[in-house]
Amino acid sequence: MIKDKSSYKMNRIIKSAIAAAAVPVIIIYIMVAKPDYTVTNALAHVFLPIAHGVGSVITWPVRAIGQGANWVREMSNLRSENKRLRNRLDEALSNQNECEIAISENKKMEQELDIKRASPFKTVIADIQFDDSVFYHNAFLINRGTKDGLTKGMVVVSFDNRLVGTITDCGSRFCRVRALMDANTKIAVRITGSDISGFLQGNGKSGASVGFFNDAQFIGRAGLKVITSNISGVLPSGIYVGEMKDEKNVDVIKPNNLSRVMVLQFDNQGSYK
Amino acid sequence: MYQFTLILKQLLPFIMTLFLWRLSVYFWNPAGILALIPIFYYTFVRPIHGFAFFGILFCFLIDYRCELPLFWTCLYCILYAITGFQNYLDIQHADNNALYVFMSFIGIGFLLLIFSGLTWANLINNLWLFTWLSILYTPITSIDNWAKQ
Repeated sequence: MIKDKSSYKMNRIIKSAIAAAAVPVIIIYIMVAKPDYTVTNALAHVFLPIAHGVGSVITWPVRAIGQGANWVREMSNLRSENKRLRNRLDEALSNQNECEIAISENKKMEQELDIKRASPFKTVIADIQFDDSVFYHNAFLINRGTKDGLTKGMVVVSFDNRLVGTITDCGSRFCRVRALMDANTKIAVRITGSDISGFLQGNGKSGASVGFFNDAQFIGRAGLKVITSNISGVLPSGIYVGEMKDEKNVDVIKPNNLSRVMVLQFDNQGSYK
Repeated sequence: MYQFTLILKQLLPFIMTLFLWRLSVYFWNPAGILALIPIFYYTFVRPIHGFAFFGILFCFLIDYRCELPLFWTCLYCILYAITGFQNYLDIQHADNNALYVFMSFIGIGFLLLIFSGLTWANLINNLWLFTWLSILYTPITSIDNWAKQ
């Protein structure tokens, strides 16, 4: 009995010692591996799909009920959505001619100015698996990975071609995407119809703000449109980011409003990484 | 049937953790953070043999999905070491299934996260998660008592 008790205590101390030894190892790793965290990402690529698969089996009744409720809600909203979409279609058709003229004028101007724009040669459609907006981070997982040709740094847009985020890590069957609201998001942007460039940074939760303009006299105002610029060489230029709400804040797309996104593969991918 | 119930009872901690982690939803359970409740309970309050590795794994998976580099994993290891090396703080016999210890554990975590990204939105979000996890601690841990009966 005494032997059992002492061996239990010994066992407990050994386990605690291992846990205590792991702490400095983790802290050193965090400092050394920043910002890629290759080892932890590689471990996640193994364990996350397994946990996800087993979790899916366990939770299927709950998720089925949730999906059923969603389906009922969508069906009940169908009539009002149809009406709203018809109105939008009418508006879009009335603007179509103006847009076509603007596009052809833009192409002509680009040829005259010899501007070479990066264009996606392939798009991959992906479903949003989890929306993990928590703390000052705003990331989500999509159900496509390296097996579908996705890699770190690729651009994720919504179906109305608005920038949603960039891929920060890629597993074989999933990718983690950093949304624009994430506090670590810092991208070069440009105000449409001008040469004014700046940097967009996520606020963590509520949205994103733009600043560090190349023109110190420039003051932002509501209604200005913001697109990506290729100044920092991170993103291809010309992707719509959002509209300015006031002097500083930009109304960017929120991933929790989306269920599906597009990942753009660019032909000059290597050059903007 | 008896054997099946017995196996189910033994697997309950693992199922509960996996269940809460997998059922992550925006706002209510972002990144499956509610899984911290069974992880804490079955490691420190009612320790289950072999659960510590499972706890570390799910802390790590929560961290990965939050894009926090091993934050909860590190805190978990620190608490594990603290509870093992001393007798003064006896979590297993603490009142209310060690609710206050759990609140201190997540409270320290959220406080550190507030200071690492100090904005109003982050502050409110962390306060909300702290309150939500504290409220759900007692109902979730009482499932264990109910299953034992």
